[in-house]
Amino acid sequence: MKRRDFLKNVGMLTGAGTISLALNGMPIKAFAKSFLNITSANGKILVLIQLKGGNDGINTVIPYDQYSLYSSYRPNIKVAESNLIKLTTNTALHPSLKSFETLFTEGKVALIQNAGYASPNRSHFRATDIWLSASDSNQILYDGWASRYLLKAFPAFPAVPPVHPMAIQLSSVPSGLFDSNVGGVAVGFGDPNSFYQLVSGMKADTDPPPATLAGDELKFLKEVAALSIQYATVIKEKADKGITRQTYPTSNLGTLGTQLKIVANLILGGLETPVYLTMLDGFDTHSGQVTKHEGLLKLLADSVFAFQREIEAAGLADKVVIMTFSEFGRRVKENASSGTDHGSAAPMFVIGSNVNGSIIGNNANLSKLDSNGDIIFENDFRRVYAAILRDHFGLNTAGVKEVLLKDFDPLQLIKYPTDLENEFLLPAKYELAQNYPNPFNPVTKISYSLPQDSFVRLIIYNETGQEVQTLISKNISAGKHEIIWDASKYSSGVYFYALQANEFYQTKKMLLIK
Amino acid sequence: MINKSSYLEKIAVWDLDAARHVLSRTLYGYSKADLDFALSKSLDDFVDNYLLKDLPQPATPTYNSQEWVTLANNSTNNTGSNYTNWRYSLTWWWLNLMLTQGYSFREKMVWFWSNLFVTEFNTVQVPQFYYLSNSLFRQFAFGNIIDLTKKVTIDPAMLIYLNGNTSTGSSPNENYGRELMELFTLGIGNYTEDDIKNAARALTGWTVDNNNLKGIFTTSRWDANTKTIFGKTGKWNQDDVVNLIFSDKSVPASEYLCRKLYKEFAYYHPNEDYVKQLAEVMRANNFVMKPVLSVMLKSQYFHSVDIRGAKIKSPVEFLISLIRFFNMTYDNDLLNTIRSKSRDLEQEVFNPPDVRGWEGQRKWINTNYFPSRNNWSDLVITGMKINSKTFKVDSLAYARTYSSSENAVQFIDDVTKVLIQFPLSQIRKDELLAALLDGTVVQNWSTYSSGASTRLDKFFKALMRLPEFQLS
Repeated sequence: MKRRDFLKNVGMLTGAGTISLALNGMPIKAFAKSFLNITSANGKILVLIQLKGGNDGINTVIPYDQYSLYSSYRPNIKVAESNLIKLTTNTALHPSLKSFETLFTEGKVALIQNAGYASPNRSHFRATDIWLSASDSNQILYDGWASRYLLKAFPAFPAVPPVHPMAIQLSSVPSGLFDSNVGGVAVGFGDPNSFYQLVSGMKADTDPPPATLAGDELKFLKEVAALSIQYATVIKEKADKGITRQTYPTSNLGTLGTQLKIVANLILGGLETPVYLTMLDGFDTHSGQVTKHEGLLKLLADSVFAFQREIEAAGLADKVVIMTFSEFGRRVKENASSGTDHGSAAPMFVIGSNVNGSIIGNNANLSKLDSNGDIIFENDFRRVYAAILRDHFGLNTAGVKEVLLKDFDPLQLIKYPTDLENEFLLPAKYELAQNYPNPFNPVTKISYSLPQDSFVRLIIYNETGQEVQTLISKNISAGKHEIIWDASKYSSGVYFYALQANEFYQTKKMLLIK
Repeated sequence: MINKSSYLEKIAVWDLDAARHVLSRTLYGYSKADLDFALSKSLDDFVDNYLLKDLPQPATPTYNSQEWVTLANNSTNNTGSNYTNWRYSLTWWWLNLMLTQGYSFREKMVWFWSNLFVTEFNTVQVPQFYYLSNSLFRQFAFGNIIDLTKKVTIDPAMLIYLNGNTSTGSSPNENYGRELMELFTLGIGNYTEDDIKNAARALTGWTVDNNNLKGIFTTSRWDANTKTIFGKTGKWNQDDVVNLIFSDKSVPASEYLCRKLYKEFAYYHPNEDYVKQLAEVMRANNFVMKPVLSVMLKSQYFHSVDIRGAKIKSPVEFLISLIRFFNMTYDNDLLNTIRSKSRDLEQEVFNPPDVRGWEGQRKWINTNYFPSRNNWSDLVITGMKINSKTFKVDSLAYARTYSSSENAVQFIDDVTKVLIQFPLSQIRKDELLAALLDGTVVQNWSTYSSGASTRLDKFFKALMRLPEFQLS
């Protein structure tokens, strides 16, 4: 029974979280704007493409060195030798992935072979949960790996939400990828205009609800209403501003082209959301696989290609990384219906201008399958996540472990890693460090770095987002600085400290325990 | 603040606020006339003789006039499209019952039971079995919980869903035994793993008879040896397991069920003092539901400012209740649209997310679902076309059911008092007044003025877009 399934019915801002937006009559926009904290993701963006249903890895990346064994497993659905795209003398791509070959030649594709995990699960639902939550096979986690990262990057959420959504998914049913113990962290929609239409006519208001249990629920509803308006409005604004020029494929097999076009629109328009989830369904090819799979792979490759060219032309390509994943690969031996059944490990693609173009790992070993006749995994999929977290988003090793809950050796996927800890005389960038000690009673130290002389505001907020003290509001010279906060006259609880220096904003959380 | 010792005492005043609270928690929508009716009775009379009255079983559902509920579950009948159509017709039938049972609390109790004794259509996939369990919940809506639990234990949908039908003496499956204790009656901490293993053995012997659509007992599949449950040893069978739960664990069972009741009908975070007091009532009445519900609906704490207006409407309740609020004309086409809309809002009838059922409350609302609800309430005012028929609230006719309809300020006061649980602030009322007047002045307002129905449409849209409207 699926009794302990990953929670599925959780959306943005459901659950335990409370958000304080329009406090003290302050308009929501002005209030939220001062907390924009997007630099926590170092301005980097991750675009995830979920290949739903279980992509057939063996027909996506063909182990050309074992072509005769491959053919004997797949007499009806094999890719003909003459059609293969040979990346190397050993490894070939499906002919539908012509656009990937171009990007590969340009050194922008990392192909990770045999990504998976020990004791693979072959249920769509369970296996999807494993990939979305980054759990072990037998471990149930109730939050997504992306939310664990985003809540690290935006520790004030949901008390103080960022002005741009932390994450966007191009569909309305919430993905477990964005579930967390404070509710969903993503906004979902299929189209910016219809999402905006949905909120047109809605009003945020500042009436304080009564101090009753019922009043708490009204407050929650008002906060969600305010955030709906905020995010639908900013998404529409950025989508209108971003002008895409590439042609994105359309297909009756799926809307991936359109989804990536919308993502490109938003990025070009200046939306600073760090994580996007797009989806292409239809990979559960138990029968009549050949034509369907050809079409899906072509749609995938051509959509990614258009997107990549788009952000290259806009000069934003170094900021963005694309990653494909699927809940499992498929059985090596074809079935009686010219299709394939659920399998295990499969290749992943990580694509971008700052990606270390390479083939990581070996071809699937068709002479050494597991007892089900499936590929044995070679690269734990979480080593890919670890690489993205550390080298793309710039988390340190401890931070990566906090997100993935275990140590995973990051694969060498990123050409020029985003580096966090520069110990030069003058800091290379703005930074707000975690206070020390934390938790504290009643005194703590807050450190920050300024690469240039800046007007600095450092403000303390309480858990509900109310300002409790302004620590700094003046010009400060470049360099590393620290200031002590004495909280002896405040009560125990969660506090936030927000640093604003020129265009830099960052908020962190601290805990006062008396 | 209400003193704990007075939690269960009967409220002193049966007024509009009290009646609106009771109706909104027990019915799927109500009209102004329904409120007037409730207030024309005493609290006791209305609760005991109307809300909790035993009603005859309704006529069975049909699809295109075809009787299907008694047809065997076999490959002849299961053509795929048949079962899909029958399931849809079952959903329309239930949605229709929610609207047509007068002042009865019964359909919300059917929902309560189905969200306690959870099964999922995606697993069971047989509409006939869903008709059976839904009818069982209706038959026991206010009835004896022990008897209901015994029936559920051998109910075909449950036998399939929690693997009772594959559980045998030589190879017992613990799935139902575990959920029976953990989720249906007791909660974690009130039994041991050995209790579950022994209960699983006692529960063996049952399979589903697909021709006669019922659970059947086969002695050879049953474990006839002795089992020890809660320290008591005997050759227990499935009824014995249920009896042992409600006799040996009557305190945790009654508290577990009252906590469930509280979460469904009062507030999603249980007040344990209230739960314990209500559980005493449940035990004193030997697990018969009706007296418990009677006490709850009349009790002071249930009517406190904490509880009134504190429940976020479920998608099904939000969608279906608009019909009754505004006395809309509807048929299966509209009900079918509501069926698919409620699925989009994450509540597909007969298909809860897992064996724990729908958690509800804040899970129903996010940055997408909230505006989607607003969108729907706009649509019923603007009118929606389905199969070339238009379904629309007649705002003008509805407004004229209020004696104050020609006095804009008073009218807004009266309408919001019927449709919204929260006392609205003056700012809110002014916004609604502006929506209604739409540029004209109060003195010129009349439902007979030109453009009045357009203005009323705007007003009702604005009213239903208020976050307050999502609360019951």
